[in-house]
Amino acid sequence: MDDNKDLKSLTEIRDGQLAVIVSVTGGKALTKRLADLGLRSGIMVRVLRSSLFSGPVQIELCGSRLVLGWGLASKIMVKER
Amino acid sequence: MADDKKINIVLAGQGNAGKSVVFNYLTGLHQHIGNWAGKTIEKKEGTLYYKGYTIDILDLPGIYSLNTYSEEEVVSREYIVRQKPEFVINIIDAVNLERNLIFTLQLLELECPVILVLNMMDLARKKGMSIDAGKLGYLLNTPVVPTVALRGTGITTIIDRVIELKDKKKRYHPPEYGKEIEKCISVLSEKLKDSRLPYPPRWMSIKLLEKDKDIVKLVKDYSRDIITEAEELGSDLEGIHGHDSSIVISDERSHLAAQITRAVVEISPRQKLTLNERLDFITTHKFLGYLLMTVILGGMFLTVFGFGNWLSARFDTLFGTWHEWWNSAFGASFASSLGWAAVESILALVQIAFPYILPFYVLLYILEDWGYMARISFLMDSLMHKMGIHGKGCISFIIGLGCNVPGCLSCRIMESRRERFITAVLVTLVPCSAVSVIVFGLVGKYVGILWALGLYLFAMIIIFLAGRLSSKFMKGEPVELIMHMPDYKTPHFKTIVSQTWEAIKEFIYIAAPIVIIAGVLIQAINLAGWMPVISDVLSPVTVNWLGLPAVTGILLIFGILRKELILVMLAAYLGTTSFGDVLTARQMITLAVVSMFYIPCVATISVLWKDYGWKRALAICISEIMFAILLAGFVSRLLSFVIL
Repeated sequence: MDDNKDLKSLTEIRDGQLAVIVSVTGGKALTKRLADLGLRSGIMVRVLRSSLFSGPVQIELCGSRLVLGWGLASKIMVKER
Repeated sequence: MADDKKINIVLAGQGNAGKSVVFNYLTGLHQHIGNWAGKTIEKKEGTLYYKGYTIDILDLPGIYSLNTYSEEEVVSREYIVRQKPEFVINIIDAVNLERNLIFTLQLLELECPVILVLNMMDLARKKGMSIDAGKLGYLLNTPVVPTVALRGTGITTIIDRVIELKDKKKRYHPPEYGKEIEKCISVLSEKLKDSRLPYPPRWMSIKLLEKDKDIVKLVKDYSRDIITEAEELGSDLEGIHGHDSSIVISDERSHLAAQITRAVVEISPRQKLTLNERLDFITTHKFLGYLLMTVILGGMFLTVFGFGNWLSARFDTLFGTWHEWWNSAFGASFASSLGWAAVESILALVQIAFPYILPFYVLLYILEDWGYMARISFLMDSLMHKMGIHGKGCISFIIGLGCNVPGCLSCRIMESRRERFITAVLVTLVPCSAVSVIVFGLVGKYVGILWALGLYLFAMIIIFLAGRLSSKFMKGEPVELIMHMPDYKTPHFKTIVSQTWEAIKEFIYIAAPIVIIAGVLIQAINLAGWMPVISDVLSPVTVNWLGLPAVTGILLIFGILRKELILVMLAAYLGTTSFGDVLTARQMITLAVVSMFYIPCVATISVLWKDYGWKRALAICISEIMFAILLAGFVSRLLSFVIL
């Protein structure tokens, strides 16, 4: 599918950018855990801040701010908006 | 006690929603903090006497969902289902309504009587949000009480509603999801209706579709057919929605939460960056963030030690003449010496430890209330990750710098047992204020401040390496950081005062009895003439390997009770505090190294025992003793080649 070309992981999105979640690589348990927090495919998030040294990523979701560890964020595949 | 005047309620909600504030407001001094049986989770219970009613309140741990991700979640849902409290008070952060509602929907699925508390209304208003509480109540079919918990606004209204609704047998209709999902749910509920399992049939059906391991197992024992049916229905849903059925359910909740939020919240547009956003820009900045953190933490420690030194000196002059007074009042006998030992121990605690712990806690709670601790977790997560834990562990370390006891206790906020344990072990290696007394009072004062700071750096390196080692040793995947970043807010004076007071109280209750006993014991041993014997027995280690004076053996044994005793008892034994006359610089550093790492103090051991079992606690003690002695011996030899 052509779309897959534009897929990036959340850690590759620049600060301030909007992105739409497409999928989560990793087990069903992880996907479910994220879904419970409101992080599911089709949802738009804004990356607020990433940090040095493969640190966590801050995102804005449904008006509130969430911090995700780098390993976790790298498994969330998004399309930039 | 008339039963109809007794009410049983439970507080539930996500962390950061203000649940503790409400709990403390309602229960004040009538609180009891214990443990859930067999778990390392705090159980907070309290009682409120109000308008003739006795209301027992249980504060559940702050949780994000009611699945099986963490013990807190399991414990909470089990309690609600089995104990059937009369009301579940769901405390919601109005600013993050949508996210909090996802949890509320799960709560409503449990079909327990819920009263919604819409907290932080003032912050919501400041953000330009206006929330129609009445409409929210209508859509969810539950009573809603808006509050500003920090100011106490609306909290008594919650209890008024509880009293008003008590005994009104209301049927609680949980909100409905999409048609296809409701169809699956009713099919399964019908089959589970007569199962006499302790959970509501509708809830179990939802959990089966969500593939909840615990519920699947429970229902399987009752009837395999239902499980097969659930799996078929699950695949049907998957076909329709294109996702695993468990995701479909989560989606539904998120969807419904979003719909409700849209219907009840109106946001007036904001023009410029809020102060919060501007602050966060700096505090989580890739470079400035770390710089600022160093400045803030550095400033914090300078203040603590500056104030501590000042207050300590004041006590010194105050207590200076008390020994003579005591002797002239009671004479010099065996009994009066023991009596003085007890008094002196308390004075030592007041003079040496307390002046540092007080400012430490005040500053810690100011930073926490302000919201900065979450930023520290954010900044330190990647480093912590290399040690096998995640960012929140850094907070435990910072607390551990004050005292290892609350430091180890704070490890309970980690989600997995593996992380809790690793963090707790690492915390025991963190130099607490008692150890700092030795580092600064001995090395800092007589060898040089740079050496003292060097010891801290040394400790950090050791902790880092220990972390890396333990994460390789202990099986299991490190859990990733998932954390809500709270808005900055003005620290609340009363909250800080009460938290500091609780911490100081805990310190006194744990430390004072131990210190008195230790002081009396050592004096008794001294007067009985046993010191030389004990010193001789331990001298192969203390004198030959570590190069320290023989009395060190006894000091280190008593250091197990309370680490600052090492210095306090040395002074008591020598009859002087001019340590420079008695120890060489090399000896002081060696003694500091041993003190830092050799065994947690007895209070910390008791926490480790309680939370992780005696085997693990013993293992930690033995390995740390061996490690510290070996390390200190090598350090001593190394130093002899340098300049000392």
